[in-house]
Amino acid sequence: MSEEKQSCSQPCNAEPTATRSTVPMWILVVTLLLLFVGFVFFDKKSGWFDSKVYAPFGTADQLANSQPASEAMKLMLTGKAKYEMFCGSCHGSDGAGKPGTAPPLAGSELVIAKGFHRLTLIPLEGLVGPIKVKGQEWNLNMAAMGASLSDYDLAAVMTYIRGSWGNKASEVTAEDIKTIRAEIGSAPAQIQGAKLMDLPE
Amino acid sequence: MQLGSAKQTVTLVAGDTWPQQRTGEATLGAQVYRANGCVACHTTQIRQDGIVCDVVITKPGKNPSAVSNLLATLKLSGLSKEQADEVAGKFTEAGASSETHIAASGPDIKAGWGVRRSVAADFLYDTPAQLGNLRVGPDLANIGARSVASLLMQRLYAPQSIVKGGAMPSYKFLFEVRKIGSVPSAEALNLPKEFAPADGYEVVPKPEAKQLVAYLLSLRADVPLYEAPFTPVAKP
Repeated sequence: MSEEKQSCSQPCNAEPTATRSTVPMWILVVTLLLLFVGFVFFDKKSGWFDSKVYAPFGTADQLANSQPASEAMKLMLTGKAKYEMFCGSCHGSDGAGKPGTAPPLAGSELVIAKGFHRLTLIPLEGLVGPIKVKGQEWNLNMAAMGASLSDYDLAAVMTYIRGSWGNKASEVTAEDIKTIRAEIGSAPAQIQGAKLMDLPE
Repeated sequence: MQLGSAKQTVTLVAGDTWPQQRTGEATLGAQVYRANGCVACHTTQIRQDGIVCDVVITKPGKNPSAVSNLLATLKLSGLSKEQADEVAGKFTEAGASSETHIAASGPDIKAGWGVRRSVAADFLYDTPAQLGNLRVGPDLANIGARSVASLLMQRLYAPQSIVKGGAMPSYKFLFEVRKIGSVPSAEALNLPKEFAPADGYEVVPKPEAKQLVAYLLSLRADVPLYEAPFTPVAKP
């Protein structure tokens, strides 16, 4: 190896020195290409660091477009919101009721009955006097809390209380509420608790 | 960067808060899970490849012949969201109302381990989050929805009695084999003959076993979230 012949432009024992030279063009091209591919990938897959976007979704738009939208779901969500506003303070957010204030809705025979006619009359007309819920006597006075709600909102509340906290009764539609409202007419009278069970289910 | 800001959120459909704080017993159980190295063989994270959509007719409308025509010709299940939107558009044109049911897809979902992917919110109250990185056993992210206490107890005491030849070791030390007193314990395990203790003895879980099972039952990833959407299928 040491015998190798060297051709030196300077004296061969001189210190090597760095000289200027241009960056090869291919490095620039490859770097730019890599950057481009990187940005395209980032654009497609990152969701722009949105904390809501996870794989397999690439963008917030794609995620928003993939939300399940159904009438039943909208009804339940509206029902929950209205329930919390109008009913929850007495009947409880968990539907368990409050002793001395309001009977439970979760598991109540009135709520999970096959028909919803009798149940719907309670918020529409109000209820006073003794009733029996889950084997316990309640003697209270409830105003017509639902009378001011729109057909859709009341249907949503009914659907919500019939389908939450373990209740599994059928849903109620706005048309159903409209029919019941028409039956009552313009002069609702508060229901007497003792007569509640005589009403058709 | 993405996960530092994770906070309690609400579920789709029912609008309940998610996740809910574990009960005291389940919180203790997380430490039992940690102490016994369950995380070495079990993951608690479900992966998802994508979503599949099914189009379901809700109301046939006033033009049933056109709708049935469409029903016969169009593919209604296993669609992408774009295809589903297109199909739904055709039904709307025919006067029918339809709904698009979204389901998560992927090997983990197919294995029955869960219904959607795990997201950061699921681990909000876990310190440490015991994600796991090796699947000697099945994924446990949704075990609370997939199993019941008695089965989990039996699995801990005598795994071979459920999966013969399975890799899971027995965690007998979480249980006590004791003489049956005047009344048999209500908590005693109901074991097959070959795994049962001698006559007059019963196997009862120690507090650690109860805590661990409470923790396992608290592991659920079965509600739809905004970041992991799917249409919940009504249970009969």
